Amino acid sequence: MTQESVKKIRISRVPGGKAAGGRYLVFDIEDVISIRRNNGICAVLTGTMPQNPTQNLFLGLPVELRVEEVRLLVDSGAAYVAEELAEHLDALNKPNHEAYIDSLREKRVSAQKAFDEEKNRVRAMHADKMKDKRKKDTSASIAQPAGEGGDDSLFGGDAVPAPHTKKEEETKPLPAITPATSAQLVGVSAGVDVPIPPALPFYRHLNSKGYYTTPGLRFGGDYSVYPGDPFRYHAHYLANAYGWNEKIPMLDVVTSGRLGTAVKKSFLFGAEQPASTPEEDGRVRMFCVEWAGM
Amino acid sequence: MPLDDDDNPTLSLSSSLNPPNGSSQTPAATTEDAPTPEDLLEDEGPSSQDFRLFKKNAHVSAQTIRKGEKDFESHGTLLQTNALEASRNAMGEVLSYTRVHASSGNLVRGWVFPEWWEGYSETREEGKAWGHIRDRVVVLEGSNTATQNLGRAVTGQEKGKPARGRDWLLPEEALYLVERGSLDLWWPKVGLEVVFPVEKAKTEEGVQGEEGEGEEEEEEGDEYAKGLPLSLQAAYALLIGEDGERGKVSLRQFQVYSNLKRCGYNVLRAPPKTEQAEQTKNGLGFWEWFTEILGSATTTKPKPFGPLVQPGLHRSYASIYRQMSLVPFHKPSATVTSEAEPPFEIHYHVWKSAQKWTKLRHPPPDFYLSVVDAQETNVPELGEISALIEATPLAPGKPEWTGPGRIYARLKHGHRNVLVAVVDHGVINYMRFAEAAFGEEKIYERFDTRNTGGNKGKGGGRGGRRGGRGGGRGGKSSGSRGRTGR
Repeated sequence: MTQESVKKIRISRVPGGKAAGGRYLVFDIEDVISIRRNNGICAVLTGTMPQNPTQNLFLGLPVELRVEEVRLLVDSGAAYVAEELAEHLDALNKPNHEAYIDSLREKRVSAQKAFDEEKNRVRAMHADKMKDKRKKDTSASIAQPAGEGGDDSLFGGDAVPAPHTKKEEETKPLPAITPATSAQLVGVSAGVDVPIPPALPFYRHLNSKGYYTTPGLRFGGDYSVYPGDPFRYHAHYLANAYGWNEKIPMLDVVTSGRLGTAVKKSFLFGAEQPASTPEEDGRVRMFCVEWAGM
Repeated sequence: MPLDDDDNPTLSLSSSLNPPNGSSQTPAATTEDAPTPEDLLEDEGPSSQDFRLFKKNAHVSAQTIRKGEKDFESHGTLLQTNALEASRNAMGEVLSYTRVHASSGNLVRGWVFPEWWEGYSETREEGKAWGHIRDRVVVLEGSNTATQNLGRAVTGQEKGKPARGRDWLLPEEALYLVERGSLDLWWPKVGLEVVFPVEKAKTEEGVQGEEGEGEEEEEEGDEYAKGLPLSLQAAYALLIGEDGERGKVSLRQFQVYSNLKRCGYNVLRAPPKTEQAEQTKNGLGFWEWFTEILGSATTTKPKPFGPLVQPGLHRSYASIYRQMSLVPFHKPSATVTSEAEPPFEIHYHVWKSAQKWTKLRHPPPDFYLSVVDAQETNVPELGEISALIEATPLAPGKPEWTGPGRIYARLKHGHRNVLVAVVDHGVINYMRFAEAAFGEEKIYERFDTRNTGGNKGKGGGRGGRRGGRGGGRGGKSSGSRGRTGR
């Protein structure tokens, strides 16, 4: 826990997206859980899951963040943004990679352990099956005496997984791995600046009230807004952020309101009222529209 | 129909697309895991902390991730907190999996050589898909079922060239393979000629038996002498770039690419625009000519004065309506009037999964796909969307869609169509734009057919029947004309 407060979350910036200055990804599962738990940000899992790569229901790392979310994390001091390509090229072109190689080796050893464990488990399972089979055979030929309950003591002895494979495992090279992050390679960097998106006050307000958001594409708005972690709750709102002096066409309110109602959500929209004095923060006003259906 | 969060659009997509026992890389979901993408994380054993990271089947029940019904809102109960905690833990457990490449299996390694093909100039090869050689940055060592149908060997290389005959991957292919745990990506510290030394004996067999070379790497003392294995993060860093950047793929295009690959589609980068124009022109001249002929036959210019419908003996509705059609309508044809501009241009060609499909030789694509960003793109203007549609060849509907009954099927399908994938921070929505030709569907030709139905009361004595019947026949034949072209 103490380490948690020291270690900042690394947000990887990759090119793409003009207004946002790039696209923002998080690769470390610890970080993903941490922002979900502590910062109210669930974002979007975008990667293929190596355990089952032929489905689109459950996706894996990396997680993609919106620039608002990035800005929120950076402002709160929980995270920094790293220019991934430059840092990686820099690190890869350095001559010394001892720390990285060591960390890799460590992971490879534990991978090997897990493999062996798994192999032994499977072997034991097969041995059990063999035992059962043999039991049947013997009980068929010797008719009665194998009898009741004595199987384990009778046949358990010779079914122990044979240790004959030990030699071959020692000579075998360790399995290769692909780690999820380059933490040991690139280390921690100072971090780069991120543009301030116009919707930031709106988003920050929602976040401060404990709402989680996901991209609103599926329901036709800027955000889908959840009253808590989307693992537990359905979205209550579809939301759009506007500028304080922006004219909102009535038709937008009607269409979005109808759309929201059609997907069992209300349409939420709001803006930040600019502060009258430079010292104080702006105030965010929000409105909620539901189709009355009269 | 009320949509809800759990109505995952990708679910219906993937289920409708599950190919019939496709090739190796197509969803295993169709076979044993079939009914249960949900159960995919099943039977979590009481596995110990250390091994859980690496256990292939460290599965956690999907039920835990999304247990039963969701709640409306927080009610502060311990039950709710526990359920949420279980979901989060399950996610953490599943996602902390590390990609392991077993040393016993065949080694599949990719080496990043971003500059190798930079100066290559590609020429069109007859009957072969465009290679995008300049964008190929990862050379493949070894192969497995996932790498088949990916990558491309560069032909026409001299004998002495290193890595001759090896497959080179596009950035999205390499990243997709890394992500699904099928490729061990390495950053080379040495040149290509050291990684793949040219040996006299090897050059012949190297083309066929590529696996043979894997072992000799291992014999050397320091396994990291030639390079470093890269993490998933590093792979993203090195392979993701701006739209159209050489040797890179943009994040949104990659997200769409891998989404389709996970569904089991075969996806290839669309050839450059000059090549596309070449392809759409070829082979469809007949169709163009055909519609041209029919078009000129049916339109007669009205006189600048006098009644719109010329006085005379009208034996069918068709002749009247034909004179009344003043407003010109859009006729789909294979002519290209403007060139697609970014962002609305064809990025990928997509095929439904099929056994026969190979990366070099394949039928025309099933879908043409453009990838745009939800935040930065507006609804396409007419010019943009027509240019995009014109970049695809004519795709007439099914031959059985003839006659007046299937008019809506024809309209909906259109004459040409294009898919646009809209990406909003990793969430993808597919839309289909089709070029419908309402003007080609002549409703009035049906009126005459109806007339022949024996309406005794109306105009029996005026020979309406004969005319009607004639018109009816005309209607039928013109209904089928659209189809005869194909």
